[in-house]
Amino acid sequence: MIPLSWYLIFAAALFCIGLFGVLARKNAVAILMGVELMLNAVNINLVAFWRYLYAPDLAGLTFVAIVLVAAAAETAVGLALIISVYRRRSTVVVDDLSLMKG
Amino acid sequence: MNFLMDHLLSWILFIPTVAALILLLLPNRANLLRWYALLASSIPFVLTLVVWFNFNNGQPGFQFEEQAVWYAALNSSYHIGVDGISLPMVLLTTLLMPLAMLASFSVKERIKTYMFLFLLLETGMLGVFLALDLLLFFVFWEIGLVPMYFLIAQWGSANRNYASLKFILYTMGGSLGLLLAIQLIGVVSGTFDLPLLFDRWANLTQGTLMGLPVTTVKAIAFWAFVIAFAIKVPVWPFHTWLPDAHTEAPTAGSMILAGVLLKLGAYGFLRLVLPLYPLEARTYAGWLAALGALAIIFGALSAYGQTDFKRLVAYSSINHMGFVVLGIAAAAWTIGTQDAAIALNGAVLQMFNHGLSAAGMFFLVGVIYERTHTRDLTKWGGLFPLVPVYGGVLIFTAMGSLGLPGLGGFVSEFMVVRGAWPVFTLATALSMIGLFFTGAYILKALMMVLHGPLNEEWRGHLPEINARELLVIAPLMILMLVIGLWPSWLLDMINRAVVMLF
Amino acid sequence: MTIQTLLWLLPLPPLLAFALIILVTNRWKALSHTLAIGAAALSWLGSMFICWTVFRLDGLAEHPIGSTIQWLPTGADSWLSIGTRIDPLAAVTLFFVAWTVLFIFIYSVGYHNFGQPQGDHDRAGLPPEGATLKGKGHHRVPSIEPMYSRFFAFISLFAFAMYTLVVSDNLLTLYIGWEIMGLCSYLLIGFWYGKKSARDAAVKAFLTTRVGDVFMLLGLVGLYKAAGTLSYAGIFGNEEMLHTLATTGSGILGLSQAGLFGLLLFIGTVGKSAQFPLHVWLPDAMEGPTPVSAMIHAATMVSAGVYLSIRIFPLVSQSETALLVMSIIGAFTALFAATIALAQNDIKRVLAYSTISQLGYMIAALGVGAYVAAAFHLVTHAFFKALLFLGSGSVIHGMEHGVLHTGEHVDPQDMLNMGGLRVKMPITFWTFLIGGFALSGFPLVTAGFWSKDEILSGAFAGGHWVVFATLAVSALLTAFYTMRQITLTFLGQPRTKAAAHAHETPLTMTLPLMVLSFFAITAGWVGIPKAFPVLGGLINPWFEEFVGSMLPAHGEAAEAGHSLVPLFTSLVVALGGLYLGWLVYSKVKAGAKDPFARALPGLHRVLQNKYYIDEFYQRAFIRPARWVAEEFSYRIIDRGLIDGILHGIAGGGLGLGRFTRDQVDLPVWNHFVEWLMARVPALGRVLKGVQTGRVQQYMVIAIAIAVVVGVLFVYFFVLA
Repeated sequence: MIPLSWYLIFAAALFCIGLFGVLARKNAVAILMGVELMLNAVNINLVAFWRYLYAPDLAGLTFVAIVLVAAAAETAVGLALIISVYRRRSTVVVDDLSLMKG
Repeated sequence: MNFLMDHLLSWILFIPTVAALILLLLPNRANLLRWYALLASSIPFVLTLVVWFNFNNGQPGFQFEEQAVWYAALNSSYHIGVDGISLPMVLLTTLLMPLAMLASFSVKERIKTYMFLFLLLETGMLGVFLALDLLLFFVFWEIGLVPMYFLIAQWGSANRNYASLKFILYTMGGSLGLLLAIQLIGVVSGTFDLPLLFDRWANLTQGTLMGLPVTTVKAIAFWAFVIAFAIKVPVWPFHTWLPDAHTEAPTAGSMILAGVLLKLGAYGFLRLVLPLYPLEARTYAGWLAALGALAIIFGALSAYGQTDFKRLVAYSSINHMGFVVLGIAAAAWTIGTQDAAIALNGAVLQMFNHGLSAAGMFFLVGVIYERTHTRDLTKWGGLFPLVPVYGGVLIFTAMGSLGLPGLGGFVSEFMVVRGAWPVFTLATALSMIGLFFTGAYILKALMMVLHGPLNEEWRGHLPEINARELLVIAPLMILMLVIGLWPSWLLDMINRAVVMLF
Repeated sequence: MTIQTLLWLLPLPPLLAFALIILVTNRWKALSHTLAIGAAALSWLGSMFICWTVFRLDGLAEHPIGSTIQWLPTGADSWLSIGTRIDPLAAVTLFFVAWTVLFIFIYSVGYHNFGQPQGDHDRAGLPPEGATLKGKGHHRVPSIEPMYSRFFAFISLFAFAMYTLVVSDNLLTLYIGWEIMGLCSYLLIGFWYGKKSARDAAVKAFLTTRVGDVFMLLGLVGLYKAAGTLSYAGIFGNEEMLHTLATTGSGILGLSQAGLFGLLLFIGTVGKSAQFPLHVWLPDAMEGPTPVSAMIHAATMVSAGVYLSIRIFPLVSQSETALLVMSIIGAFTALFAATIALAQNDIKRVLAYSTISQLGYMIAALGVGAYVAAAFHLVTHAFFKALLFLGSGSVIHGMEHGVLHTGEHVDPQDMLNMGGLRVKMPITFWTFLIGGFALSGFPLVTAGFWSKDEILSGAFAGGHWVVFATLAVSALLTAFYTMRQITLTFLGQPRTKAAAHAHETPLTMTLPLMVLSFFAITAGWVGIPKAFPVLGGLINPWFEEFVGSMLPAHGEAAEAGHSLVPLFTSLVVALGGLYLGWLVYSKVKAGAKDPFARALPGLHRVLQNKYYIDEFYQRAFIRPARWVAEEFSYRIIDRGLIDGILHGIAGGGLGLGRFTRDQVDLPVWNHFVEWLMARVPALGRVLKGVQTGRVQQYMVIAIAIAVVVGVLFVYFFVLA
């Protein structure tokens, strides 16, 4: 059987890729994708821990389900925002969106 | 149906508030708002009648009780109920409210706010009469003040700012001591529940509180209660807010102020002071009687000295409420005897009667004020032929106020005087001066309004009292007559409550 | 129907009539008076039935008929009961009340000119001034009273109150009737409220009697406390109770309880029956319409005061002091009022003073213990005084007719303007003569002689010489001024054109005169003492036995040997007074002054001004009272002292607030805050560089801080 640590290492790697995408990419869509990666990394963690430590109990899976729903909603709202920004300013590069500069 | 019957008092208490909130959502159409307010305030009256006919006179203690958790941390609960003393007051309140609403049909400005405040006021007043928890009592006591303040300040006449400020400051000043004393009682006794306190606080006679002997602390708390209630009654010399407030308030405001708000003070004496402080009340009964007699005498004298009709009626309230105080003082001294029962019967009945006659008088002043836009007695004269129906109604109501035998006021004054005579002979005898001048000022008013040479200014400009106004005054007149002829339908309830309570 | 039920129903018809007239029929004059008279007739019928039944009963005093109901609850299982009852005193009172009330109602129809046209310029609140008849040139006739219906409503209410008073079995309902009568008296005296004199008289009447009433109320409550009941049977019919009250001290002025409460109640009588010093209202009350004067201020209401005194006599008689006070006040008033009557020219005022004087007679009679005599005089006086007032009303009416007819501007009430009316108004003359003779005590035939004689013999037999002498002198004066009145009014020649054109009044007015004059004669025959020479024993002295049985200790002054001295005195003063009056006044010419004023101008002026008592009261009581009310109580105490203190406190608070604002808030706090405010933007300029507007930079910083905090956390908490 595959040990738990493999899953964790895999999830950490996925999380780091996502984090990099969020921090380094300029395209807002790409940032959104990074966020998705990070969320799914967490999901893998949750499923792994559930399988190895709390198997019959359903609490872990419930959490995963909630995260999935939240992620879907977040993506929908995020994409809508990006489209709205694009319509107004014809760009999705986040460095150009600096109206909040002090 | 059970839900209605089991929480009858709560319905009576909160329907006005709910109605007030719904009122805010209604469209701003004058007649709709008026009729709505009239209808809304009639519901508690109908429910009160249900309570009245289901009330068991012979049963000791409170009836229709309801208790629910409220401020558990403070040992204070939502506890309400009625007995033979509070039920007549509830009836008086719920009866006068629709009449006041009907009387307010002539109000033209900001009707929505006006009616809203009135409905809130009703909950405040009813709460005081229904509360069986000291803290609840105090909350409602204060709630009643605010709408009244705005009613005077917004819809009053020329000097309204002064009058409304004087009214609220005076009453709040009294409330301060009351609040402190209530907290003291709550902390010492561990409860605010009145039926429990009647036992615990009244029987607390030994030991020390905060480094002082219990008796001293209780005496101080007693006076805090007395002053708060004395201001509200008002007892001479705490009375000067009243003529101003009454004079400046809108007609319906004066009706409620005289008809119900003054009763809150007297009710405080009956519900709280006498049962909670029997010993202190006995010790200081002489002072209270003296103040009552002074209120009777100076109230009547000052009323006689007025040329402003409304102020004259306002002073007559001081005069009449003096009898309530005299009765309470006599009862405090003789508690447990037949004299006390008679004096208290008289005092409670006098509260009810004064509610009818004072509300009626203020309304009639309002009727003529609306037509002539003056309150100055010297500006009228000889109006009888112009408004014969109004004149007849005014004479009748004035005679009720004067205490003419055959009308309600006499019965209660007779009983108070009968109860007070054996204990405070001198005060009672001196208060006869006041009774004499009651006649003098009533006749002065009647003469200056109705009789005398006609002031030609009003010929043709003075419409007769209309059907709506007659509808307001008629129930009051009928009740005055009924109580005068057959008082025991009401007195029997009061009497049994008084006998069982004291 | 049993007597018990009937007693309860007796006062109701007039009350119903009152309510109906006020609420429904006030627009229809004929219907209104029909209702009122019908109601009065019903009550009259009931009263006659009751009287007819009880007059023949033996032992009515011991076993009065009546019933009670519980009215006021007074503590645990105790009630104050009220009820009705008929006993001998109530029965005789009921008898004269029923008769006088009914006939005065009928009289009012004529008096208020029913059937005459509407006036030309009549106004509600003023007496009708007459109407011009078209078609017959410029002929002026009396016009109908504008407030005709209201008058009948008020007198109906009055009748209700009077019946209530008579049939009640306790002092409380008596007091209720008493006060409602006071209200009616006020309303009716001020009936023509457009006249200032009427208005003032109404207020004066109400307030003066109210002085008595508040004392009476004290007496009531005191007696109620002491005796535990207010019923006649429980107090006056209860020897034990009377004894207790007589022997218990009241702690006030050394009086026993009986004396104190008796006197307090008696003050009520002083007010209601217009005894000195509260007599001032009654003469002024003549401003009301004459039927009112007859009914309220002669026959019934003022009699009610005496009725009360007779009622409480068993109580009062327990105290010598109280009796003494009664006899002094009564005798003094009798003389005092008679002297004033000598100098009055207004036909009604003379009668008013004579009423006061006669009521004083009754009070004095009670004071000397002549219980039956007082009740007897009460009955006879009610008849003949009502007759006299109605007669005077008829005279005035006739004179007014003359005044309207001739257009002459003379006072139709001034007797000096009359004269010779016997020719024009024969019925009025003869009936008035009967009434006047009854008042003077014309021997043997008139009722007044028998009752007065009984009072005098009561005073004489009791050894009250001063009272006896005073009453004898006032009887002389009474006869004198009565004859003066008759002579000036009816005899001789007319002194004005108006008097020459006076007219006899209609049947509605003369019929009551005739009926009442019948009683003015015969009412005395029921009380002819047995010991009276020749006549004694011819008619059974029924009154004496019937009313006398009311007293527990039966058998009083009159029984103690009938001396001839009082009889002789009565004869001399009555005949002498009448003769003197005729002698002095039969020759008064038109325009001449009163012979009395010519002979003794100083005394005449004092008497005409009623000893200046009104002026004295005005200075000593009314003005000070007004000052106390307007200045002391309102301006000085309320506005000055109490509000002054309040405004002082408010001013102090305001001052303190102004101080903290001007001296603390503005300089200290405001300054500090302003300095602080100036610094804030500079700080913001420094810090704004941090905000780049780039989301990713923010995130880097956030992650960096999270990493640092995480490391520190692990280092310090987890590893440590």
